[in-house]
Amino acid sequence: MNFLTTFAETAEAQEDIFTALGIDWRLLILQIVAFLILVWLLGKFVYPLLMKSVDERQKNIEEAAKAAKKAQESAAESEAETAELLAQARKEAADIVATAKLEAGDMVSTSEAKAKSTAEKIVADAHAQIEKDIDKARRELHDQTLELIAFATEKVIRKKLDSKADEALIADVLKEAK
Amino acid sequence: MARKLSRRSLALHVATHLVNGKPQKEIARQLAAYLIWTRRTKELTLIVRDIQFYLAEHGHIAGTVTSAHDLSASTLKAIEAFAKEKTGAKKVSLDRAVDESVIGGIKLEIPGYELDTTVARQLTILKTRYKKA
Repeated sequence: MNFLTTFAETAEAQEDIFTALGIDWRLLILQIVAFLILVWLLGKFVYPLLMKSVDERQKNIEEAAKAAKKAQESAAESEAETAELLAQARKEAADIVATAKLEAGDMVSTSEAKAKSTAEKIVADAHAQIEKDIDKARRELHDQTLELIAFATEKVIRKKLDSKADEALIADVLKEAK
Repeated sequence: MARKLSRRSLALHVATHLVNGKPQKEIARQLAAYLIWTRRTKELTLIVRDIQFYLAEHGHIAGTVTSAHDLSASTLKAIEAFAKEKTGAKKVSLDRAVDESVIGGIKLEIPGYELDTTVARQLTILKTRYKKA
């Protein structure tokens, strides 16, 4: 009830509210107009400059952000590429090492086989040479024996074969030749 | 200078005279003189071979028998008979040569036939045929 009473009383005294509050409505209107003019002036001359500046700054910031993002992306890409290159390089290095090991193994095997073959050839050649030498010695012995036999036979025949025996030999030979 | 005779006609001429019984020494002397005169001594070997060939055509064979010892008349006769049998010649005249290096046996050389039964030859065969080196 008190509230309603207060409200009713206030409505009655509304004409004087500005006065009661100490506000001069003329001055208020003037201030409002001045404020509007100020707003208009600001909106016409200051605000566009500020907005332009802000826009430019924002644009710059956005560009910088884009550039930073791009750089980040590039860095990420570079990192990925580097990682890929590193992985590839590691793989190639591993391949090279494996190939080198394989080749080294092959070379060792080849060298061993060659050395073995050479050794076998040397042994075979030595055997062949020995056989050859033995054969040559046998042949020389055989020939020397023949020479000796011929020499001895000649000596014996020269002593034993006199004119008479020679004539008998000739007669036999002629008979055989007929 | 007389006309130069060909080797064959010269051989034929000499062979004909030998067959006709002209002395061998005289013919040999004339042939030697002719060859010296005509400077054809280098042809002597070929001429002798041709003479032997023509003599063989007339049944006369001249050859050489080489032995280590002097051969008896009977052995020579046997060799001549052997040569006649082998060649079919009517007459065989053999030059005898003694060469101690043959050791034993004979070496008979007549045109178209050769028989080497010398011991030296047999020993050479022994040394060469069975030689291995």
